[in-house]
Amino acid sequence: MSSPCRSAVSLAALAVLTVAACDREEREPRGAPVGDSGPAAITQGTLYAGQPSPPGPSHREYEGNAYHISQGKQLYVWFNCGTCHANGGGDIGPPLMDDQWIYGGTLENIHATILQGRPNGMPSFRGKIPEQQVWEIAAYVRSLSGQTPKAASPGRSDSLNAKPDEQRMPREEPKGSSPGGPNLEGRQ
Amino acid sequence: MSRALRIGSLGLALCLALPGCQGVQSALDPAGHQAGRIAGLWWLFLGVLAVVYLVVLAGLLIAASRPRRRGVLPNGPSFAREERIERRLTGGLTAWAVGTGAIILTLTGLSYAVDRDILGLTDKAELEIEVTAKQWWWQVKYNDPVPSRSFETANEIRLPVGVPVRIVLKSQDVIHSFWVPNLHGKTDLIPGRVNETTLVADREGRFRGQCAEFCGFQHANMALDVVAMPRDRFDAWRESQLSPAAAPADDLARQGQQVFLSAACVMCHTIHGTTAASRVGPDLTHVASRPSLAAGTLPYSKGNLAGWIADPQRIKPGNQMPITSLSPDQLQGVVAYLDSLK
Amino acid sequence: MYTVGASAALEHQGRRRRCFGLNIPDAEAGADVVISRLTGAMVLVACALGAAVPAPAQDASAGKAIPAAAASPADDGNWVMPGKDYASTRYSAQDEINTGNVRDLQVAFTFSTGVERGHEAPPLVVGGTMYIVTPYPNRLFALDLTKPGAPLKWSFDPKPAASAQGVACCDYVNRGPAFADGRLFINTLDGQTIAVAAETGRELWRTQLGDINKGETITMAPLVVKGKVLVGNSGGEFGVRGWLTALDAGTGTIAWKAYSTGPDADVLIGPDYKPFYDKEKGKDLGVTSWPPDAWTIGGGTVWGWISYDPELNLIYHGTANPGPWNPEQRPGDNKWTGGIFARNPDTGQARWFYQVVPHDLYDHDAINELLLLDLPVNGAMRKTVVRPERNGYLYVLDRATGEVLSADPYAAINSSTGVDLKTGELAMVEAKAPKLGKVVRDICPTAPGAKDWNPSAFSPRTGLIYIPHMNLCMDWQSSEANYIAGTPYVGAEVRMFAGPGGHRGELSAWDPVKRAKAWSVKEDFPLWSGALTTAGDLLFYGTMEGWFKALDARTGEELWRFKTGSGIIGQPIAYRGPDGHEYVAVLSGVGGWAGAVVVGNLDPRDATAAKGFATAVADLKTKTTKGGMLYVFALPQRR
Repeated sequence: MSSPCRSAVSLAALAVLTVAACDREEREPRGAPVGDSGPAAITQGTLYAGQPSPPGPSHREYEGNAYHISQGKQLYVWFNCGTCHANGGGDIGPPLMDDQWIYGGTLENIHATILQGRPNGMPSFRGKIPEQQVWEIAAYVRSLSGQTPKAASPGRSDSLNAKPDEQRMPREEPKGSSPGGPNLEGRQ
Repeated sequence: MSRALRIGSLGLALCLALPGCQGVQSALDPAGHQAGRIAGLWWLFLGVLAVVYLVVLAGLLIAASRPRRRGVLPNGPSFAREERIERRLTGGLTAWAVGTGAIILTLTGLSYAVDRDILGLTDKAELEIEVTAKQWWWQVKYNDPVPSRSFETANEIRLPVGVPVRIVLKSQDVIHSFWVPNLHGKTDLIPGRVNETTLVADREGRFRGQCAEFCGFQHANMALDVVAMPRDRFDAWRESQLSPAAAPADDLARQGQQVFLSAACVMCHTIHGTTAASRVGPDLTHVASRPSLAAGTLPYSKGNLAGWIADPQRIKPGNQMPITSLSPDQLQGVVAYLDSLK
Repeated sequence: MYTVGASAALEHQGRRRRCFGLNIPDAEAGADVVISRLTGAMVLVACALGAAVPAPAQDASAGKAIPAAAASPADDGNWVMPGKDYASTRYSAQDEINTGNVRDLQVAFTFSTGVERGHEAPPLVVGGTMYIVTPYPNRLFALDLTKPGAPLKWSFDPKPAASAQGVACCDYVNRGPAFADGRLFINTLDGQTIAVAAETGRELWRTQLGDINKGETITMAPLVVKGKVLVGNSGGEFGVRGWLTALDAGTGTIAWKAYSTGPDADVLIGPDYKPFYDKEKGKDLGVTSWPPDAWTIGGGTVWGWISYDPELNLIYHGTANPGPWNPEQRPGDNKWTGGIFARNPDTGQARWFYQVVPHDLYDHDAINELLLLDLPVNGAMRKTVVRPERNGYLYVLDRATGEVLSADPYAAINSSTGVDLKTGELAMVEAKAPKLGKVVRDICPTAPGAKDWNPSAFSPRTGLIYIPHMNLCMDWQSSEANYIAGTPYVGAEVRMFAGPGGHRGELSAWDPVKRAKAWSVKEDFPLWSGALTTAGDLLFYGTMEGWFKALDARTGEELWRFKTGSGIIGQPIAYRGPDGHEYVAVLSGVGGWAGAVVVGNLDPRDATAAKGFATAVADLKTKTTKGGMLYVFALPQRR
């Protein structure tokens, strides 16, 4: 291959690579279709009768999408999640940026926790937050502990800069097997 | 095409463009003192610069149309004439430069004087309105020394005719720009900063303001209605805005209020007199009294309201109002309730 | 239980006796009377002879502060209300344990509460029984002090709603029970007031006062005045409307309810209302000093301390911060939040009000303890109420009129410059005022204030007020708060850090007459425990690492310390046991706003965790763990 040809090819390859980056910002204002999020998709503990069932259908389009996560971040503030859980460090509610999940750490678990509420003080937002926005918030919650792809996680904050941006958060691996063991620290 | 036809169609096109200078969103149709001064200045600039332009063009045309002369030998028979021409040229160019300088200085001076005059209104403001830009709508607060006499509306500003009004400009997300061309020039709204401008309307009328700094997806649909009205009607309007929302009058509206307060609506909106007091979206206490919906996207009507609630993402994709999936019955109730909030 | 209407002469005598720090029982039982009279006489003789008694005479002419006479009867050895007496002195006349022997103090017995959250309550002691109320789930325990090891006599479980934990801003604390006429009164986190028979633990009545779905909880200790149980709500961070209510102690029915916002009729402002300053005068200020409707969710809760002066027949209570924290959302003075009310306990009608922090900028609840002291001010004795305020000033107000007599800084302040005594106005520093979308840096004091709820103590022997407080500063960023019922309504992010000097806590001994610090002791961690002072010239308090300390009340010299199992944020008490000996008791069990980082296992990598407190005390996680335990100390018995 001649050298101009090589450079043309590499340029083209670069251009193709650049196009791939557009995926991060694909906006779906009407919401991506969502699979089953009912009880069948959710496990809260890590103990199974017999073989563990395969994980429920997940909604990676929310977790891998910068638009949805940044929308989730905005809604997290608007709907007062941040006043109970701070910017992930916790306050009235437990922290969301560490390696512990009381009611499970999958997207479906978090979705369920937001909608159903939890007995020790987490209010139920059922009927109050539209389905798509709940998924967006759940995806953002996962980004707080580095569970979402770095390319999709928010890279800046408009706040006090109280902690590293979600993009720079180290991925916290839950101790014990997924989706997160029972709470040993007695958190709500 | 004949030359005459071409000139004729050009003239017609220009004539057709002229009405564009009129209307609810035009800096050339001033309705306020400042916009008047700005328009005057604009016309002056246009006139002066048009004359300059024509003179330059004429000069160019004359120069281009004159036959080109062959080179002239020094000490030749026409040398004296050349020298004469040279002197004339020097004189002409000097005059031209002086004239240009004078025009620029004059225009600068006038521009400065107009600026001063416009800003001079700031101290005379009798009313204060706080406008906060959000993606993609305007939150409008009427401040009052007695806090309980302040109130909030959205995407509309009403002004008493002839009264200078201080507009305090804030932004909550990105940089926007506040522009009501019929009344004044642009002023930016910058997060973390407070800017101010003053508006005064000299005549009654309905004008359109527009965000004039690209601010995202729905920048184009971020407009506001400005209504200038006589003082007494303004005061009456103000009193009506101060009252809490009307209680639902019939069963349908009552049911709609229940839906509103128990569904997603309550997460974002305020209706005074109810438990809805969130500030994400516009205050809806008197939503049915407003000329338009969704920041000037739709004229207000019951049908448009229903369409907007049913699928806001079709009408204004990417805006922050979500699809709430209300049942038709619920939707009907909510629309009936909101439509009763005059 | 002491009697309030005792004659002035007896009161005077009682005070004298107490001022000499003698352990004199209440003159009731025959034998006791003889001993007491005898001892009293001996004291008087000693006084006349000018014997070498360490404490100087407690006369007004001596230029010293004394507690309001009618509100602080002689010590009977019991501890029936968190403040010890209606004057809220937290002073015990017991002097068996004193500066000479405190180094021998040792544990007498302990008791585990089985609750892991912050224990802010004091134990109460009434006639041989100790009563403890825990944080949520608000269990009530009665310990029999007459038997060795103080076994459990009964326990009472009110079973409050678990969801209440989600609307408690700063841990699920409870600041104590109250005792009166054979009944114990407790408040539960989910907004109930419950009366229990002190002898049996049987429930007598319960009244639901708060609604958790509006964000209302109750954490304060009730106060019983003239057969009425005074209770106020919490939830200033949830957009509730603050109130103080009086319940009939016998039946639990509401006698009156005074809101802290809204029309005068709701606030119980009527013809009796005569404030000192013009700024507190006007019709329906609780409505007009707010944007429309904002007063309905404007806070002004009454979760702090109440004092009572029987002589003037006035109760004194504070009102908490206005909501939301973001001040730009509520232009105006935001009446009647952030101030002190004097009310008639019979009707609830307000007598005067002083707004300490009009249009509060920093969550400065004005709910701290109110000490009723008689002080020489400019040469004349004045009946005053003394308040170490969250904004860093120690206010001295005339308790009859509400006039500010002085307001002196006792902690580092850069957000205000002082109080104009003519107008009562607090001068704020514009550069430190929160602005939407802007980070305002280095504001002192912080949102929990120079000092939060944890009460001071006053010793008539030293004339000093012992103030456990903090030395923290903060960065603040306002944001727009959205009111969604049942969720927080705050609109601010805060990050706290150690103030000038680097220490985070301090215990200051304040001379209210000289208007200056007599001495102070620096502490590494913020102080979140109450103070106790005794006639043995001792000062007791606990630290968040778990040290329980005894200091010389005159010099501040540390004489004794004991490491408890968890951090201490409770209120120590001293009492005379059935055996006639003095005991000192405190609940250990870290928590509260300051200890949330430990009890909630918060992640201090986020500087805004626990509303900015977690990072300031991030190292607390390495110093202590949670768990509630009662510790009772006594001198070794050598018999």
